[in-house]
Amino acid sequence: MTAKSEKTASTAAMQRREFLSAAAVVGGAAVFGFGIPLDARAAVRTGQYWSPEISTVPEINAWIAIAPDDTVTYRIGVTELGQGILTAVAMIMNEELQADWKKIRWEYASANRDVKEKAPAWSLKTPGKEPYSTDPNAPGGSPSLPAVYRNREGSDPREVSWTGVYRRMMTNGGAFKSLTYYYHLAGAEARERLLLAAAAVWNVPVAQLSVKDGIITHAATGRTTSYGKVAAKAAQTPHPNPEGIKAKTPDQWKLLGTEQKYLHTPHVVTGELMFGLDVRMPGMLYAAAKACPVWGGDVKSYDANAVKNMPGVHSVVQFPIPDRGLTRAQRFSGGVAVIADSYWHAKSALDAMPVEWLIPADVAKANSADMMKALLASMDKPEKVAVNQGNFDTAIARAAKVVEATYTAPHRPRARMEPGNATVLVTDSRVDIWIGDQSPQETLVSGSKLTGVPRENVYLHLATLGGGFGRNGNGPQAEHAIMIAKTVKGRPVHMIWSREEDWNVGTTYGAQCAAKFKAGLDADGWPIAIEARTAMDTGGSGISAGLDHFPYGVPNYRHTTNFVKFHVPVAVRRNTFPPQIFRESFIDELAHAAKKDPYQYRRELLMRTNFPLRDAQVQALDMVAKMSGWGSPLPQGQARGISLEGEHDGVSGVQAQVALVSVTKQGSARVLRSDIAMDTGFSAVNPLAVKKQLEGGVYWGIDDTFSVDFQVKDGRMVTSNYDTVLTARMDKYPREVNIQFFKSERWGASSPEASMHTVASALLDGIYQITGKRIRDEPLNNHDLSWG
Amino acid sequence: MALNLVVNGQLYSVDTEPATPLLWVLRDSIGLTGTKYGCGISECGACTVHVNGQAKRSCVTPAGSVVGQDILTIEGLSSDGTHPVQLAWKEVDAPHCGYCQSGMIMAATALLQKRPNPSDEQIESEITNACRCGSYYRVRLAIKRAAEMMRA
Repeated sequence: MTAKSEKTASTAAMQRREFLSAAAVVGGAAVFGFGIPLDARAAVRTGQYWSPEISTVPEINAWIAIAPDDTVTYRIGVTELGQGILTAVAMIMNEELQADWKKIRWEYASANRDVKEKAPAWSLKTPGKEPYSTDPNAPGGSPSLPAVYRNREGSDPREVSWTGVYRRMMTNGGAFKSLTYYYHLAGAEARERLLLAAAAVWNVPVAQLSVKDGIITHAATGRTTSYGKVAAKAAQTPHPNPEGIKAKTPDQWKLLGTEQKYLHTPHVVTGELMFGLDVRMPGMLYAAAKACPVWGGDVKSYDANAVKNMPGVHSVVQFPIPDRGLTRAQRFSGGVAVIADSYWHAKSALDAMPVEWLIPADVAKANSADMMKALLASMDKPEKVAVNQGNFDTAIARAAKVVEATYTAPHRPRARMEPGNATVLVTDSRVDIWIGDQSPQETLVSGSKLTGVPRENVYLHLATLGGGFGRNGNGPQAEHAIMIAKTVKGRPVHMIWSREEDWNVGTTYGAQCAAKFKAGLDADGWPIAIEARTAMDTGGSGISAGLDHFPYGVPNYRHTTNFVKFHVPVAVRRNTFPPQIFRESFIDELAHAAKKDPYQYRRELLMRTNFPLRDAQVQALDMVAKMSGWGSPLPQGQARGISLEGEHDGVSGVQAQVALVSVTKQGSARVLRSDIAMDTGFSAVNPLAVKKQLEGGVYWGIDDTFSVDFQVKDGRMVTSNYDTVLTARMDKYPREVNIQFFKSERWGASSPEASMHTVASALLDGIYQITGKRIRDEPLNNHDLSWG
Repeated sequence: MALNLVVNGQLYSVDTEPATPLLWVLRDSIGLTGTKYGCGISECGACTVHVNGQAKRSCVTPAGSVVGQDILTIEGLSSDGTHPVQLAWKEVDAPHCGYCQSGMIMAATALLQKRPNPSDEQIESEITNACRCGSYYRVRLAIKRAAEMMRA
């Protein structure tokens, strides 16, 4: 397909000139000296010069470059995918650098440079961020290997270096927490060198200088200069004692803790922000890929001749099962792809092509119902006793009342809005990958291993991700695209998964989960013994969430776990941990069994403990009860549910939510209003981002509870598109959301999305109060909620 | 065959089959990538554009069916992000990742052209787009703010 118009041709020429001139300004020409003329239209406007291996504006350190016009470029080593991380990272660096926030631009850091360049020694200091220390300069231990790398079964755990110059280019909450100190130091190091440069120019002691909004002042003489003017000198001025650089302590923060809008928002509303799907390269081919629908399967045969004469078809290729060492040991499939001159041509031909699959015989009949049965049965014989306090068995025997409940949750997809995709150009000596990626360092390794090109010659050009929720949904989008593109060396290939491909083969899932709770209550309705058994697919995440550090006071408590191995790929999914929801539902069930108010019941159970987070949890409950008008009369068909998030210890986030729920007599349920109180520790980096994540979590929890039910049948995922699941939209989202924060003297936990848990159990309890129906097996769409 | 499409006031002669969805013609032939692919079955709304002022899901709209009609994409809403809906979106910082927002903005703009002061019920029945980050709260705020700005 081609499009032409006179105006288009001239626009294209103009865009090319625009790119060349922009490249000259930023040094892109040198970077892309390999001869890749990017579609720089969007990149130029959005400030994303991809992979700045070389900078012609003075680079103070690897994260910060400052142009003569005082424009400060922050290089972001993590990928924006909706959580506001690029804004947060820029804020942290600017807190220390003290440049003019209005003159900030951003670009993604280069994973290729990270391979070639070691982290400076001053940046390897570890933060003193133990849970209860607010001093970022407190001494820490030696860097330990993050668990995520240790867990890469079948490959050298140190394969991905995290001592490269950008350390750990991993987009998740844990990595962000471990990196914040590093960003602080990067800003501080740059600031000190800029001040040293100005002091040298003026020949005055650096201690006499001050800086605000990028303007350096020598008060004694009234002289001023700007960062842009001294940047070139600073870039040549090493710090004499980089080990002595200190980050600001939180009481000195000015920018951090203030609400800042997302830096990428202005580019979103014009459609210019570049996602992986938007990469356009001259001479680019398009590919549609289809892998064996049963995980671990492969291609038996396919008939390329049947489609090779269809419009636009370039070639048909087969690709193998991705090496599990490159996919975090996940079992994905081999498949086929059609390469064509447009995506539509590629997809049309692929859909028309006869393909036979090699289905792994052992799982050819696997289905969700059987898997759930296996999980439920496994709990009869607990595999591991995770917590055992007091003596559950003797205590339950003397209970006045016993309450039991079994809860289940289905497989759930990440289902980011942007389907998996990547653009790859392979030559004999170099590989370029354009991709939105939560783990670019790992993808770079894939680029090298799958082509034989040394890592130093693999270039990753990061784009923003259209949602993530776990390493690109954890699917092998990059691996598929690399294997396909290397069949057409010298031409970039833009591979896109269809929505069905993305959901059925290209993702990992939140694991199926089941739990059996049992409690013995005394004559007054207070628990004297609680047991929580949970079971989950092996590899699933959060089997003990909210249960291994049980926050409520009960003298005899036991928690056991069982993992059962299935062939469905499972992994972390936007921190969705069903056991946390089950726990809160069970507390509601106990409160109702005791005929007590669910808020007061929780409060009393917390007050029976002396756990470190008790006061914050009580504060969250009290605050949210007040915000929501807890206890005030409601019309028929409405009820309030309350829920608490958090464990008793550590840094897990403390929040409480009240959902105002309505159910019509015909059974149509909705959350009308959500009130949330959250502990942000001594400060949130960007409170606006925290609010947005809380709001997002409310949606996620509502959609999970109402509509998400992914079903495996005949070994494959048969739920494939938005027509049957993920159907909660604006019409299910509460019209009113109220959020209040409170502070505490510790580092806050970055888990605002946990509002998905709190809204879920609060919604379920509201439904129970209205209808008398206790739903323990989501989603609600499978249930009749009519009443009266 | 050559199809003549009018997109954002500009005439494009596109060499493609008439059955090709407008979405892919916009993205791959014309190079307007602001309109996104989400589901391909008219469910998620990420591909929403206007055809003759009406919101339309371009992933199931054959290009041949809109020849000569007035097609508007996110890129044509304003030259500089100053359409009231865009301004309102920025004011409340509605986007999370941003991927679905072109479609949200186009759907909201079509709604506001039809109903300058939409009720919550109307917003909920007209804006059926999916957002997996969960931007619905701010999208609602932004629509109401845009309505205020457009009435002023």
